[in-house]
Amino acid sequence: MDILTVEGLSKSFGGVRALRDVSLSLRAGEIRAICGENGAGKSTLVKSLMGIFTPDAGSITIDGVRQTMRGPQHAQALGLGLVAQELSLAPRLSVLDNIWLGSSEVPVFHRRRALRQRARNALETLGAGDWDLDIPASALSIGQQQLVEIARLLARNARLLILDEPTATLTDTEIARILDVLKTLKARGHAVLYISHRLGEVFDLCDTVTVLRNGEHVATRPVHDMTRERLIELMLGRPFGEMYPASAAGPDIGDALVADKLNVAGMVRDLSLVAPRGTILCIAGQIGSGANVVTRALAGLVPGATGRVSVDGKPLRLGSVPHCVERGVLFLSEDRAAEGIFHQRSVLENLLAGSFGAHTRFRMLDWLRLKRVGARLAQRVAVDQRRLAAAAGKLSGGNQQKLLFGRAIERPQPGVLLMNEPTRGIDVGARADIYRIMRELCSLGYALIMTTSDLEEVVGIADIVVTMYRGRTVARYERQSIAMARILADITHPVQAAA
Amino acid sequence: MSQSAQPPISDRGLVAPVQEGTSARADEPRNYVGIVRAVVLVVLAAVALTTPGFLSQPSILSLLTTVSFIGCVAVGMTLITISGNIMSFALGALVGATAMVFILAANWGGFAFGLIAALAFAGLTNALQGFLIGWLRANPIIVSIAALALIYGVAEAFAAHGTIYAAAGANYGGFKGRVAGIPVEFAVFLCVTALAQFILSLTPFGRHLFLIGSSFRAAEAVGVRTWRAITGAYLWAGLFTAPAGIMLAIRYDAASMNYGIGYEYEAIAAVLVGGTVIKGGEGSVLRTLAGAIIIGVIQVVLVLQGLRTEWQYLIAGLIVLGVIALQTPGTRD
Repeated sequence: MDILTVEGLSKSFGGVRALRDVSLSLRAGEIRAICGENGAGKSTLVKSLMGIFTPDAGSITIDGVRQTMRGPQHAQALGLGLVAQELSLAPRLSVLDNIWLGSSEVPVFHRRRALRQRARNALETLGAGDWDLDIPASALSIGQQQLVEIARLLARNARLLILDEPTATLTDTEIARILDVLKTLKARGHAVLYISHRLGEVFDLCDTVTVLRNGEHVATRPVHDMTRERLIELMLGRPFGEMYPASAAGPDIGDALVADKLNVAGMVRDLSLVAPRGTILCIAGQIGSGANVVTRALAGLVPGATGRVSVDGKPLRLGSVPHCVERGVLFLSEDRAAEGIFHQRSVLENLLAGSFGAHTRFRMLDWLRLKRVGARLAQRVAVDQRRLAAAAGKLSGGNQQKLLFGRAIERPQPGVLLMNEPTRGIDVGARADIYRIMRELCSLGYALIMTTSDLEEVVGIADIVVTMYRGRTVARYERQSIAMARILADITHPVQAAA
Repeated sequence: MSQSAQPPISDRGLVAPVQEGTSARADEPRNYVGIVRAVVLVVLAAVALTTPGFLSQPSILSLLTTVSFIGCVAVGMTLITISGNIMSFALGALVGATAMVFILAANWGGFAFGLIAALAFAGLTNALQGFLIGWLRANPIIVSIAALALIYGVAEAFAAHGTIYAAAGANYGGFKGRVAGIPVEFAVFLCVTALAQFILSLTPFGRHLFLIGSSFRAAEAVGVRTWRAITGAYLWAGLFTAPAGIMLAIRYDAASMNYGIGYEYEAIAAVLVGGTVIKGGEGSVLRTLAGAIIIGVIQVVLVLQGLRTEWQYLIAGLIVLGVIALQTPGTRD
């Protein structure tokens, strides 16, 4: 019998349909991947199952009984358990306390011994029976903490485990361990809903995959009937190749940025790179590889960075953003909400932030000119010109990101644009726009340097790829020699790649 | 926010803009705030107009001078608030200290020297705080509290008896009358307001203050020299606050630290009542002008109703709490 059956689930938020008529069912001992772009409805589905959102329509049936989820505790009592994207352990509490924290089963006065034994059993299932239950959670590594999160669900007799991007912040050995644990649980008859952007894990671990797109169910297939390319196409809703505009092999107009022996204590060691104009250089590396620190350092945002960097042959002083901006080196943060957008300020001001000084007459702001330039920039980055006066915080993530690109376009001369995760948290449509804007910047003579944790994106958009592992460069590839397998090998097993 | 997933792509390679409507839900708190504002204004107007003597000439003149003193401090405060530094507790003390510097300097070197010395003192004292906050990223509230204590401490050394008086020969009579029917103080305040609004709206520096207040890190990332802008905001805040101290000294031919007591609270009340957002990035000096008039009306009404100074503090406190309570649901992310 199916552990879980979902039929016709729908949920809207103020006119936005986050989930539309989604149905799926899950058997005991099945690991199901849920795939989809950001905004496809994965989180809404999970939160509806856990009773955090109340669906507008549709039914949830557990073990053949139709249920109305009243909240997370109710969902837990029915045998559902969620490991959320962010760790939710209390760092100062012991492992044991964390396992039982918030459980409705624990009365004010309780028999600690029984609870201890159940926690111990849960950890044993995960191959961690020898752990000390009384050390604080903060003494464990991130991967171990993730195991405690899973143990927490098992101790509460969860039979359906929902894992939302459980490996996003883990190292490779930690990921391998989590995957092993999940396979063990599957053998014991647990069902798992596994949400991940990492397609490798989907093919390695899961039995079946459900693809969501724009809140709708697109397909559910056995994994062995699926190829990587097919899965991506289902997620994107268009052929793989169309996403990325072709690189126009422009004339060789020289190197914009040359970095030699770039060092950031503990993060980047002796990194050298050359970014030619008119190309997109992608620094590929896992979390902790230092890739995103390289771009930050080149933008002047890392105080302790050292190294010889030159732009158009003239040396660039590291550590001062205003200096870098004057030299045409611009930065686009991975943290759009905190380091990119001015939420309360208008779209116009967001497009022109940082270049007000260039639009003055007698040292006074020339608002007529600002409005004219702003309207032109909005058009070039495909943001509705009628929204120039709206607060930028009201725009979608995709449109906000386009505003950040707009800042780079009309500079006195084409410079260097440094980007971290330029398409993070952005829907498919805006993503295609952004790739097009990036190519437009290339054709204007900009040099683009970006980092991304999305390997598909690396292969799709980059002209040059520099791979990084633990703060060092592993290899450099150009156009035809860019291949996903080699990049993946470099950023995970650099020794073999170097050999 | 209805939004198609795949916007049509034109053959020119540019993409048609994605349409987005504003969601009705986000606007709800704002409407609610608007209603509360309207009700408060109507009630205040009704109370003021039914208070005997409110519309008399002495009362109106007293209203305008009250508004001017609070207003100058509030305009300075507005720059600090907009730049994301919440408020300065030291502006009231700065008013008293500036008054004393003016009297001391004017007694020594004449009226013009007094003016220059007072402005220089207020500007530098504040700019120094701004530098600490902008360069060292010190907490603005703590810096202002420290400045408050320092100003009082130093002032104590200069005026052991509390009040210092203008020299016997000094004659500030020309600065006590009216210009075109309005008190000199109010004319000065209007000039201060105009200058501040000019700076905020029409200079890159003014725009940078809004950007820094909206998101400090984003402002750094686009290359705004944040420490310069914040130091500048405090410098101007000092220069805008100084006239309040100078005008008080001229009015009484004397100066004392007591003159400044309470101004920082009335100023922040005026800033908030005007609608400048406490967390920064949004607001205007013209709003503060409106806020200062409202605070002034309340004070005059309280005096005419025969209520004592304690009540004025109580009301100022209630207003600040009330406005914060109203602002919060609309601005929380």
